[in-house]
Amino acid sequence: MSAAPRDDLVALVREAVASLESKATSSTSMTSDLSLDEEFNLHAIGWEAVELVSGYSAFSTPMGAWSWGQGEITSATEAHANAFASAIQRLHHEAAAAGGHGVVGVHIERSIFSTHTAVSLIGTAVRPIGASRVGDDHVFVSDLSARDFARLVLAGWEPLGLATGASFVYAPRRTIGAALAQQSQNVELTNFTEAIYAARELAMERMQRSAIDLHGSGVVEVKVVEGPMAFAAHAVGFTAWGTVVRLAADQHRPMNPALVVSLDDPVVTFDAATLG
Amino acid sequence: MSDTVNDLPEATGHRLAELEHGLFTSDLSVNEFLLVKEAGFHPVGFVMGSSIYHTGIQTRKWSQSQELTKLTEAMYNARELAMTRMEEEAAALGADGVVGVRLDVNYYEWGKDAAEFIAVGTAVKAEDGVSRRNKLGKPFTSDLSGQDFWTLAQTGYAPQGLVMGTCVYHIAHRGLGQALSTTGQNVELPNFTQALYEARELAMTRMQDESAQLGATGIVGVRLEEKSHQWGSHTIEFLAIGTAVTKGTESVTLPTPTTIISLDN
Repeated sequence: MSAAPRDDLVALVREAVASLESKATSSTSMTSDLSLDEEFNLHAIGWEAVELVSGYSAFSTPMGAWSWGQGEITSATEAHANAFASAIQRLHHEAAAAGGHGVVGVHIERSIFSTHTAVSLIGTAVRPIGASRVGDDHVFVSDLSARDFARLVLAGWEPLGLATGASFVYAPRRTIGAALAQQSQNVELTNFTEAIYAARELAMERMQRSAIDLHGSGVVEVKVVEGPMAFAAHAVGFTAWGTVVRLAADQHRPMNPALVVSLDDPVVTFDAATLG
Repeated sequence: MSDTVNDLPEATGHRLAELEHGLFTSDLSVNEFLLVKEAGFHPVGFVMGSSIYHTGIQTRKWSQSQELTKLTEAMYNARELAMTRMEEEAAALGADGVVGVRLDVNYYEWGKDAAEFIAVGTAVKAEDGVSRRNKLGKPFTSDLSGQDFWTLAQTGYAPQGLVMGTCVYHIAHRGLGQALSTTGQNVELPNFTQALYEARELAMTRMQDESAQLGATGIVGVRLEEKSHQWGSHTIEFLAIGTAVTKGTESVTLPTPTTIISLDN
């Protein structure tokens, strides 16, 4: 490469970095992945979106941890817990830096490989309109949509954070003799059932523990992913997460829903494939 | 855990004890959560039962339509194990019922002919302290969503239990002669029609029998699923599943629904 383009390149990078910095310090710009409806819902309860924030973390699992053993695969469980905790912490940090009091609509992407576990979180930082900054520790993170957040606040509840729990457990192999004897029978495979139960108890217990640590009174929208790991047939995993909530008002406020009949036509989407 | 139905694994105790001390977990969405509250119930815990089950082998005759009783039994037995375990957890929490029950069959790498039967739902308890358990003294179960649960409550009906009927059926292949004689014609294939009818009837009747045991007056939200699972063509499971309900004693006047035109896209 000749000298002249390199100078240009350096100048370009400097310019880009400078523009990034100026954008971060200006308080007028706002990014969010909320829909217009959701923005409206937020404003209706006196909140506003501040910034799109993200947190990412990956933790490694030692080689061979999945292949053979008994009981819980602690290294995999820890990698999952640590990846989640650091990603959430980074989300807290970014949101607090942007002036948010909480993050709603967090998309959770997890990838569990034999070598490592990665967690990526993206959400929109929100705050009561015009509110001043708070510290990292006072920011809540929730995978509820802005709509659900607004409805929860109206009913007198508040989200406190994400509760997560995971456990990976070895399922003992059946002996060849047992497998052959059971081949034509209707029979429960207790080795797998017990492994799933063990993993589930540990994972749910950890999720509940993290909810209690956040001083929550409940966890809503619990999501569960369970089953054998694709890369290790004799290891079963159970992971669960949800948003921790607490009653913020003196008492639950009823919604008084009304029965409605929608007059909308069913949505028909145009599909070119149907034209033949 | 042994093969007997009535025992939860030991580890369950600790988690459930925590739930009894005020914390609740639930897979209900925010809307469902608020509607369940609206209907006078409070969620107490996310409950679940599962069983990994190995299905036996049954030979089928190529040209004969018949129920495959061994496979039917397996589907019943495994679902029953999962459901009972879920109900036991709910009972241990002192719940009046379980809403939003999902019953799934997952085939993974468990091995040949093995599947996981899983039942999950949110255990709920009436806020007025009056027991809403069913005739058998067990928590009611229902696959209705929070929205449907609230709407059902408005009509004065109460869910009693998730009822189901299943039938694994082998539908006979047509002989070469039969196939040739109908080539080029518009004609009903009575052996197929009859086989499908009979299988469906068996599944529906079994579902109704279960609801009769609960003293229910009707079944709402019935779904009829036809699945081949891993048995290849011509072997189908017919599964009928719904929520058995009874009419409460109080008379209710239903509010007239408001008609709306949504401005959403």
